[in-house]
Amino acid sequence: MKTWQRSLVAACALLALFGGVAYAQAPGASPVDFPYTGNRTAVWIVAQLHILFAAFILGAPMFVVMSEWLGYRKQEPRYDRLAKEVTKVTVILYSMTALTGGLFIFVLLATYPQFTTWFINQFYLVFAVIYPALFISETFLLYMYFYTWDAWKGEKKSRHIALGVLLNLVGLITLFVINGPTSFMNTPVKAEGISPQEFLATATLWDKVANYSWMPLNLHRIVGNVTFGGFVAGMIAAYMYMGAKKDEERAYYDWMGFVGNLIGVGAMLFLPFMGYLLAYELCDYDASICPYMMADQLSMFFEMQGAMIGLMFLASNYYIWLSMKRIEGADKVRMTILAPIVMVLLPLVMTKVMTDYPVPDPMSLAFLLPLILAPFTLARFIPLVRFIPLVGRFIPQTVSARTVIKVGFLMVVVGDAIWLTPHGFVPTGAKMVAELELPSEWNFLALMPAKNSAAFTLVFVTVVNYVIYNRAIRQGTIVWGKIDFVSQFVLIFLAFSSIWTMGLMGAVRSLLRKYYHTYNLLPDFTAESFTPTLSYSAWWVTGITVVFFAVVSFAIIVTLRPSDSKGHAPEASPVPARAK
Amino acid sequence: MWNVIKKLLIGLVVGGVLVGLTRVFEFPFIFQMMFFAYAMLGSAVFILLDAPALKPMGGIKSVIVLVAFYIVLCTAFIAGASMWPQYDPQDEMGKIDKILKPKRAATEQGKAEELIARAKALDEQVKALTVRLKELGGDQATKEQAAGGSGAPPATTGAATGDFMKMGEEQWQLQECYNCHKLKGEGGKKRGPELDNIGTYLTVDEIKRKILDPKSFMAEGYEKDWEKGKMPDKYKDLMEDNDVVALASWLGTFKNTAVPTPKPIKKK
Repeated sequence: MKTWQRSLVAACALLALFGGVAYAQAPGASPVDFPYTGNRTAVWIVAQLHILFAAFILGAPMFVVMSEWLGYRKQEPRYDRLAKEVTKVTVILYSMTALTGGLFIFVLLATYPQFTTWFINQFYLVFAVIYPALFISETFLLYMYFYTWDAWKGEKKSRHIALGVLLNLVGLITLFVINGPTSFMNTPVKAEGISPQEFLATATLWDKVANYSWMPLNLHRIVGNVTFGGFVAGMIAAYMYMGAKKDEERAYYDWMGFVGNLIGVGAMLFLPFMGYLLAYELCDYDASICPYMMADQLSMFFEMQGAMIGLMFLASNYYIWLSMKRIEGADKVRMTILAPIVMVLLPLVMTKVMTDYPVPDPMSLAFLLPLILAPFTLARFIPLVRFIPLVGRFIPQTVSARTVIKVGFLMVVVGDAIWLTPHGFVPTGAKMVAELELPSEWNFLALMPAKNSAAFTLVFVTVVNYVIYNRAIRQGTIVWGKIDFVSQFVLIFLAFSSIWTMGLMGAVRSLLRKYYHTYNLLPDFTAESFTPTLSYSAWWVTGITVVFFAVVSFAIIVTLRPSDSKGHAPEASPVPARAK
Repeated sequence: MWNVIKKLLIGLVVGGVLVGLTRVFEFPFIFQMMFFAYAMLGSAVFILLDAPALKPMGGIKSVIVLVAFYIVLCTAFIAGASMWPQYDPQDEMGKIDKILKPKRAATEQGKAEELIARAKALDEQVKALTVRLKELGGDQATKEQAAGGSGAPPATTGAATGDFMKMGEEQWQLQECYNCHKLKGEGGKKRGPELDNIGTYLTVDEIKRKILDPKSFMAEGYEKDWEKGKMPDKYKDLMEDNDVVALASWLGTFKNTAVPTPKPIKKK
């Protein structure tokens, strides 16, 4: 896409935004009836698509700059090439973000004119001044960052990296700003003893933005966007690997897939805890949200989420397993026997400790920290837990990396099983019958301590596997481009699953408002303000994900295929991994 | 191949053991099957770990395989989500309508809709009266009307004289109080105190006060929840006054001393 075409798209989006604001001020506008999908689902589709594109254009630049900086510091051209290729795709998707953003405003205004007018009035300064200003700044910075890539190299590279950091800063501020109105819809400002309407009348813009779920949502979305960006970079690498005709191209895209997956998985390790923090704040805001999520209408959405996250952890560990297979000498790597022992003990001990000392009681750390750190030499560097390596001296036995990883897989399956086990196979607590309910003495399997321990077991196993992988590449020789071909499908699976899960949880966050546009403040009187079924939601989430993938795939093919002819420095020669 | 068979057999044995154990511990059948499925998942994972490497492919073949892979993923995710128990939106629609009805009526649009509905009702009555007058003759109709006979116009704003207790029970369901409080052995999950004996401790007015101002009373043993403000302070804005009175009156009838309802302590 040429510069003038991109500019035209951006201008259309801005026109839509300002036109939308103007239209919202028109009195007496009546809603349209969206055919086939209905109004709510129409808004859902466009909003979700917009968020997926926005998540990528905010998440990708974070690791693009990191990659560029690594390339500069290590004088390693592969990192710079990775950064530039992902930026090429980001630039096209940036136009799509603007386009879907404009469409989102139009559809919202056409379907919910009264609510949209009210909402824009509440955040007029944000929608009419701050957000457009940030959006224009980001557009300017992104294009400048992309078009100065070749001009600002060599001695000017640090200037280019600084520009990338600035781009990320503006991107983060944009995310924080737009999260204000979004989180406000879930947790509008309130004060004890005053009605929400009365309090809202006196609330400042900052009161409305800095609501209960604002910061947890910011953190959740930052981590989610990096995960998303990493996995999409992995998917780009997988496509290119599949289409590569030369060994050096395969070697490069194998490496790129590994880096994308490493970033995606690294960020994903924090996601369960960020999600937990967001849910904790939502429940703290209004305790009735908690049963609605976990025990009532949305409980099965969380079962599906558990299934997806379990599959993603299995897939990411399987990718490490496949990566290990291409390291010559990896079979000689050994690890303390404490690692598999801790893996097996962790779900049991953690469930017991967190039942006795529930979150946020710090006492639980006194028991869990020594257990978790026991297999790692990292403990030597932490003064408070220096005694832990002593345990290792008393138990000098080691086991092969293969054994540790296999025990790890077993525990990932166990972790998935604990996470998935529901209190009962019913859609709401009201329909619970004995034939579908866990026996009361086993009910702890469905409670939060068990779910937390399951999530932590998945994270722990993944960290141990990466530690083993790190040891393997230090001791062995890695041959890029020789990975099992099935790994490319694993990368695509991870990208598709993470985006699908993001869509599902986005729907959950919106549905938490129940029959309100803005929770407890502005009711949704339309006939569509009910909780849809999980099956119905899955259909639409899948449809949205497929559309997003089609666009991203097109963007990858359009932007990266021509690079074949240009040629790149060979990167396939097998070298000892420690040299990198 | 032997590797696959061996791992399948191990999966079946582990699954069988899990089913046996869950039967001993009296897990319902569906949970027994769930544990069996976990064992088979484990088996599939270990088969995959030692599976032979996939040969590289390219060109149109890789595109076809990729499209097929996406189709499988989409089908698996939709089927997976559809296999979980599905919530029936019909259960909620009636509830939402009842909860939002007074709020809708309070809006400008709601008021306009109510006026239009009333005007239509009056118009119907006028038409009916005109027909009746023609049938009976003017004098007779006037006398019947004065005596409140069959010619009198039906009331347009009927007083709410329904079963007050039934209305209270309905509010219990509509506001989903059962999600936190156990009553008649149902609901609760220990989030809030069991309420079967609340009528012994609190009067209807005091229960009403607790609903409208959750900080006014604290249940014994629920100090942390009270301090955190676990019971939402929103019902004064969400519920109509007569709905709160109906709910409080209904709860006031529960005086089952056999149930250990925690004693409420007055805080305000």
